[in-house]
Amino acid sequence: MNYVNILNKLENIKSYIESGILELYVLGDLNADERSEVEAMSKLHSEVRDELEQIEIDLGNIAESLQVMPSDNVREGFFNSIKFSDEEIINPIASKQEAKVVSITQKPTNFYKYAFAASLALLVVSIIALVNVNNSLNNTKQQIIALQSSNQNFANRVNYLNQEVTKTTSALDIYSNTDYKMVKLDGTDNAKGAKIMVAFNSKMQKVGLDMKSMNMPKNDSEHQYQLWALVDGKPVDLGVFDMDGNQIGFKEMKNIGQAQTFAVTLEPRGGSVNPTLEKLMVIGNI
Amino acid sequence: MINTKRKFLEEPDLILALQERKKIGADALYEMYSGSLMGIVQRVIEDKEIAEDVLQEGLIKIWNGIQQYDPTKGRLFTWMVNVMRNLAIDKVRSKDYRNHSKNQDIENHVNSIDERRNSEYKPEHLGVKDLLQKLRPEQKVIVDMIYFQGFTHVEVSDELAIPLGTVKTRLRMGIIELRKYFK
Repeated sequence: MNYVNILNKLENIKSYIESGILELYVLGDLNADERSEVEAMSKLHSEVRDELEQIEIDLGNIAESLQVMPSDNVREGFFNSIKFSDEEIINPIASKQEAKVVSITQKPTNFYKYAFAASLALLVVSIIALVNVNNSLNNTKQQIIALQSSNQNFANRVNYLNQEVTKTTSALDIYSNTDYKMVKLDGTDNAKGAKIMVAFNSKMQKVGLDMKSMNMPKNDSEHQYQLWALVDGKPVDLGVFDMDGNQIGFKEMKNIGQAQTFAVTLEPRGGSVNPTLEKLMVIGNI
Repeated sequence: MINTKRKFLEEPDLILALQERKKIGADALYEMYSGSLMGIVQRVIEDKEIAEDVLQEGLIKIWNGIQQYDPTKGRLFTWMVNVMRNLAIDKVRSKDYRNHSKNQDIENHVNSIDERRNSEYKPEHLGVKDLLQKLRPEQKVIVDMIYFQGFTHVEVSDELAIPLGTVKTRLRMGIIELRKYFK
């Protein structure tokens, strides 16, 4: 390459630059072919490259001298429209608005959701409470029944003891009363070893049997013992009684003023008009 | 003009931050360039609200389209300016804008170039006024139309009935004049 060629080449590059095509390139005002040409020239020639750089700097300077500050809502709009890789919340205003929307649209839904859950929970608790109350009510009822029953038993027992005491007391009265004469009736061949004590008060015309000391065979349900008084050789009915082994006190019999002998026969239940002498069990003279 | 409180990143760092979708990238982009880009948009669209809408749209487009920017083909700012200018010009030429705005549409605008050259030259910004006063009248109109108002050199050539080559060299001469002003 000779000197002239080099000069020509420089001249060509200079006129290429001065044609104004590089300014249009920077402004994007070229078609695809022209753009490729500029890019090729830029690669080949540093002068073109340097000039392009300078034109870009010019553009920056011009733009800076023309700058107009936009209002803040441009910034807001821009930042609200883009997403960052390094920050969750893009813009406090945006998230505030979002929060507002959420609070308007979701609050009723949440309210009913919670209200329903609360109702359900209340229902479950109520049912449990109801079952518990019912159980304890049943327990209480059973306890009351048990108490009533034991109370009844106790009353019965008291009643029974009261009767025992009364009988024993009256027996004591009879034994301690000198108006009574105690007559011992002894067993015949029908009932060996049998024994009955008869209390006789001729003044009061009273006759009683000491049930506690009585020793007789137990009678069956179809028969009863009958007490007789022999008055001047004639038997007089003084009433019937049973021997079951659990009696105490004195059993009061029919009244009589005088007698010489007392005797007991075994008769059909309810007693007989005349004594069955074959069934004479005990006998004793006053 | 430069606010010292601005968040500032060197261009390679800014490009990386934008590519990685870091918040600091958006902050720096907005702090460093929203004013300059707004100036560019408003030279094309006089209505401030519409210009701001376009600026916002352009910023989102830059954010979302950063992967399309090729650093081997020029500076980031140059690419952003072209995104903004194209958006602004599309807006001005849209039916919507022409119906909405009382501004002259592009054809009328171009047809009135002669009038504008003589009497309707009303740069609103001191910077522009200062800048353009440095230029000769024949350079002034071409620089204004192409650099500031977004006309293509072919449109200017047609409308002013000046050969394409002349449009280009006058544009270049004008830029060289302005370059002196900045140095």
